Amino acid sequence: MKKDNSNKSDEISEEARTLVIARIDAQVPSNLRLSIGSFGGMTKEQMIEHVKKGDEVGKQIVKSHLRFLQAQSSGKITKALISAE
Amino acid sequence: MKKGLIITMPRYDDVTEYFSQFSKEILKKAEEEGFPVKDLVDKEAVKSSFESAAKSFPYSLAVLNGHGNADEIFGHDKKPLVAKGVNDQLLAGKITYARACEAGASLGKSIIDSNKNGCFIGYELPFQFYGNITWAANPIKDNTARIFFGPSNAVPIALINGKTALEAHENSKKIMLKNLNKTLRNVNKDSLAVAEALWNNYEGQVLLGNENASLND
Repeated sequence: MKKDNSNKSDEISEEARTLVIARIDAQVPSNLRLSIGSFGGMTKEQMIEHVKKGDEVGKQIVKSHLRFLQAQSSGKITKALISAE
Repeated sequence: MKKGLIITMPRYDDVTEYFSQFSKEILKKAEEEGFPVKDLVDKEAVKSSFESAAKSFPYSLAVLNGHGNADEIFGHDKKPLVAKGVNDQLLAGKITYARACEAGASLGKSIIDSNKNGCFIGYELPFQFYGNITWAANPIKDNTARIFFGPSNAVPIALINGKTALEAHENSKKIMLKNLNKTLRNVNKDSLAVAEALWNNYEGQVLLGNENASLND
């Protein structure tokens, strides 16, 4: 997947948003805070709120999840992990 | 250019507090190696102090902590400390490590374009980390945050140890993969969230410019 460095980039689809919200809800424990870019210390609830709003940080969160899923499904992560052994 | 380290450590929110606390490990290493250090801490981490320090202490390694965007790295109170086309030439010829978001996307290229001997290691994507609120007042004990800051600190520490920029960059990425592997194998409630953020940093970390640059040059 081509890296997207733009903060303003393409629209995020509703499907992607829903998927990422479900992932955050299932994967982020309440004792953790995410810092991403200039946005520090977000709780799970705040992350979900940003994704729902579709603001800058919400888009960054969605893109990050999608890049990870893409790398998982393409085998890129497995390949990288093997290379480090 | 003299062998030595200029490091900025603004501290005004949770993120910069973590950056500053974990930077102490870089300072400790520099001290152990007898490396001259000019640190700009808290309110000293501003544009005017940085410009003055860069001129008075022409050290070969710069470590910049802070928020940022593609064109700027911020200092104290989120005010620009280094900006493309403004004062980025002060980093020309140095080895710069920027623990700041997205500075690799544009600022890093601008620095390298002005002097091909130096190099820039930073992030094309926003640097991410998870912290555990239990340790918010004592970040250095936060083992979740350490998963991210360990490989990040490994860049300047390897450089201080005399490694080349490429070796420092690759070693850091290898540690990220080891941490990723360990995280995914542990399968606890935060594994996937941590893995996803770590992968972001792995993909986002870039080395621009002279990959053979070292502090031994």
